[in-house]
Formats: sequence, C-alpha cells, structure tokens
Amino acid sequence: MTDAIGKTELAQMFVKAAEEIRREHQYLSELDSVAGDGDHGTTMLRVVERLEATATANTPENLRVRLREVGWSVMGVDGGASSALLGTFFAGMADAEIGDSSMNCTDVAKAFEAGLRAVSRQTKAQPGDKTLIDALRPAVSALSAAAARGKTIRQALKDAALAARAGADSTKDLVARYGRAKFLGEKTRGSPDAGATSVALLFDGFCAGFASEGKS
Amino acid sequence: MKKFINDPKHLVTELLEGLVLAFPNKVRLAGSRIVLRAIPKTSGKVRLVTLGGSGHEPGLSGFVGEGILDASVAGEIFAAPGPARCLEAIRAASGGGAGVLFVVLNHAGDVLSANIAMEAAAREDINVKMVLTQDGISSDPNLKDRRGLVGFLPVYKVAGAAAEQGFSLDACCKIAERMERNTRTLAVAVRPATHPTTGKAMFELGDDEMEIGMGQHGEAGTGRMKLKTADETAEIMLKMLLANLGVSSGEELLVIINGGGATTLMELWILFRSVALLLDAKNIKVVRSAVGEFITTQEQAGFQMMIARMDSELIRLWDAPADAPYFVVR
Repeated sequence: MTDAIGKTELAQMFVKAAEEIRREHQYLSELDSVAGDGDHGTTMLRVVERLEATATANTPENLRVRLREVGWSVMGVDGGASSALLGTFFAGMADAEIGDSSMNCTDVAKAFEAGLRAVSRQTKAQPGDKTLIDALRPAVSALSAAAARGKTIRQALKDAALAARAGADSTKDLVARYGRAKFLGEKTRGSPDAGATSVALLFDGFCAGFASEGKS
Repeated sequence: MKKFINDPKHLVTELLEGLVLAFPNKVRLAGSRIVLRAIPKTSGKVRLVTLGGSGHEPGLSGFVGEGILDASVAGEIFAAPGPARCLEAIRAASGGGAGVLFVVLNHAGDVLSANIAMEAAAREDINVKMVLTQDGISSDPNLKDRRGLVGFLPVYKVAGAAAEQGFSLDACCKIAERMERNTRTLAVAVRPATHPTTGKAMFELGDDEMEIGMGQHGEAGTGRMKLKTADETAEIMLKMLLANLGVSSGEELLVIINGGGATTLMELWILFRSVALLLDAKNIKVVRSAVGEFITTQEQAGFQMMIARMDSELIRLWDAPADAPYFVVR
C-alpha cells in the first residue's frame, strides 16, 4: 500500500483528534482557568465537533477544498484565539501545492508548513510566549525534518506528536506574554498553556488516526 | 451572583433576541448572531460593519441603525466572534455594491478575527477597508498598544453619516481615520464586574481604591490609588487626556462620559460638570457632548472619559440624523 493520506485517512485523523480532546476537555478547562475564563475545554469540544463533522462529510473529494472547509468550519466557532488560529491552520494547509486526492509525506509536510505560515501571518506570538505556537511550531518542524529524511508518514506524525508534547510541556515554566493572560504575569507560571496542550492532543490524534488505517 | 438570567448557555442568543424584539422597526437578527438594520440602506452606499464580544450592552449592536451601523457581529460574553461570521457579515454587506467599512475595536481577539476575515475577503475581491479604533490611553505612558474603548462611538457616527450621505468608501475611511486619530479615552474602575457565566469577579480592587487606565475587561492599568472625589478624579484624567491628544487653548472638543454599568447617572453628570468647568478654565470649548452608558461591562463601577478634537465637517456628521436603538439624532 502506498504511503499516503487520502480523504479516508484524513477523516480518521480528525476523528481520533476529536477523541483525544473529548477525553481531556475538563483538564483543558482547568488549565485555562489559571489564565483565562476557564472555557478552553468547552471551546475545543466545539472545535472538534466541527472537525469531525466536516472531515467525515461525503463531499468534497478534493483534499485542499476539504481542508479549507474544515478550517472555515472551525473558524465558525466563537472561541477566541484558539479556534480562530486552529481554523486558520487547517484552512492554510490548503494553500500548499499538494495532490488533489492524496498526500505523500512531502505533501503532508508542505501542507503543515503552509498552515503554520497562515497562523504566523495572524499572530505575532513566538515560541516562549506561552501560546499554542509553543507546540505547533516544533511539531511542524519535526514533521518537515522527518519528511526530508525520507521517513514514512506514520514516523513523521509520531515525531510531530512527540515534538508537540515536548513543546506543550515546556510552557509549564513560562509566563504568559501574549493574549489576555499576559495581564496576569507571574500567576500563569506553573501550569502548561491550554492552547499548546490542545495542539499536542490533536497531533496525538492525527498519529493514532493514521496508524489505525493500518499504514506502516 | 445576582443577575436576572436564564440558562447561561443562552445568554447571547437571548439578549440579542430581546434587542430585536424591543426595536423591531430598527433592527433584525440574521444568520448567526448578526444584527442588521431592519430596513437595509439603499444600494450604492457604503455599509458599515463592526464586531465585538457581548456583555457590554448597549455596545455594540445597540448602534445598528439608520445613519450609523449596518451590521454588528456579536461574539460570546467578553469574547470576539469567530472569523467565519465576520466574513459572512462582510460578504452580506458587500451586496450593497459600494464597499464595506469594517470598524474594529483594538482588542486581541477582535483584531485576530477581523484580520483573518479581511484576508479571506481580499481573496474574494470584496471591496472592504478596515479601521481600527485605539482610543484608550493608559496611565502607563510606555504602553504602546492602545485599546479600543468608547471612542468607537464617534467613529461609527461620523463614518455612518458619511456613508448615508453617499461618500465613497475611500472618503468614509478617511473620515473614520481622522475621527479616530483625534480621539482619546481614559477609563477608571472602582468595583469589578461579575462574569455572567462563571459568576467570578473580573478583578480585585480594595474597597477604598480606584484604578485609572483599566481596560474594558479589567486588564490591569498602573494607576491604582485611593478613591478620590469627582472633581479630583476628573482633573487627573482630563490632564492626561489633554496632554496625550495635545489639545491647546481655543480648540473644540466632543466630550463623552460613559458609565461602566454600575456608576449612576448622578455621578456621571457630576463628573461631566467637573470636566466642563476645567475645560472652560483652559479656554477649550465643549462643542458637543454625550453622557450615558454606551459600552458597559456588566455591573462594573467606573467610567470612561473621552475627548475628541472636532472640525466643522466632523461636527456636521456627528449632528446628522441617526436612528439606532441606543443612538437617535433627529
């Protein structure tokens, strides 16, 4: 079997990502109550509902059109920065020049890089600012590096998930410098950023979702 | 928390439904939480769209109406609406054929949603321009990022009047930017609001304290001090505003005193009196004024003091007819 992500694999990746978030949504809200309104878990539940619904819908066939729809569907959630930026990430993936019906490992890397570029156009947050960027950027870098070394999609997604997790964990010792949480300063030190933790969970789900399709 | 609400999940839907039921001749609800004029502006005229979190009533949807806004996209409590609904509103308004002016208050979430929607609108070749309102000075002179406070009101009003009078999108945008550049606001808080969903206080402040320079949601300022009289408070704040805008003797100002939600009209009138007397002593003329609640934060006590430098065109547009639920000029 060829090493590729088509619409079935993509849907399965989003379904598993939704499972990860559902299992941890209360924890995400607890993390957010340190620095925000404590509603991040609820927001993420609405985000993954859209992810799942749009990704598993029958139409459209074209991967880029599908990704753009997924992204704008997530951007329809009123959830502050996290849903806006995650939606931008998925919609931005559609800017990459990838196959119409399937992505090989290089395409996957290109799509994730394009998603990150779209996010970077909309937020000035940098790694170290205690935002979802702390997990997203290392994840995309790890995926690109894996693709460049000729790894399989499964290995590349695994590297990305590990990098996202490490990035999310690293936010524990940081002080928020971005978003409304920045006004809380030192109070935000000691627990990881909710948005970065969500990104790590999403990548865990992508990894599990692709693996569950029986690819190696 | 003592508030007359139902299921907190339905706060925003219910408050918007209440608004349109109370003013059926002026506004209606469309799509997903977008407030539109009951009777759309004739085509061929620029349309004004804004966005913002809820919980700040009558801001911002209370200013949709003839001569002011065409559409307002309402977010969750204290949270910006997502980019998709902003794009939906811009797309709908672009049907007017003369372009869309998108007025955005400078708050991180609002700006993020607005920028994403603007990028997508540009890809669709929609004729839309964005104006960012950032009137809120802080007591901290090093703070570069000025927030959008009640200064949105004169911007809505003069740009809305210009659009109603058939100005082009470029002309409306220039008017809005000129108004914005000449507007400064300073906020003071004495008691926090309760978040209507969580029931938690938005910030902490001692019983005998006030904080000058606080943001719309209780974002910290640096001017925490013992509570002062109306005259003393007005003098401190006005001095900072005049210095920041660089107002000199002989100039003409629009002055707005905006109540935070729990500060009485009695206090607001007393404060306005202080400002008027201080300006008179400096030979600065109050050419137009407004006192009341235009943007609130639940039952937060405190107020915003806004000054804006006016010229004859801006005064003419401020005076033009308007018929929004919470702003009427006949």
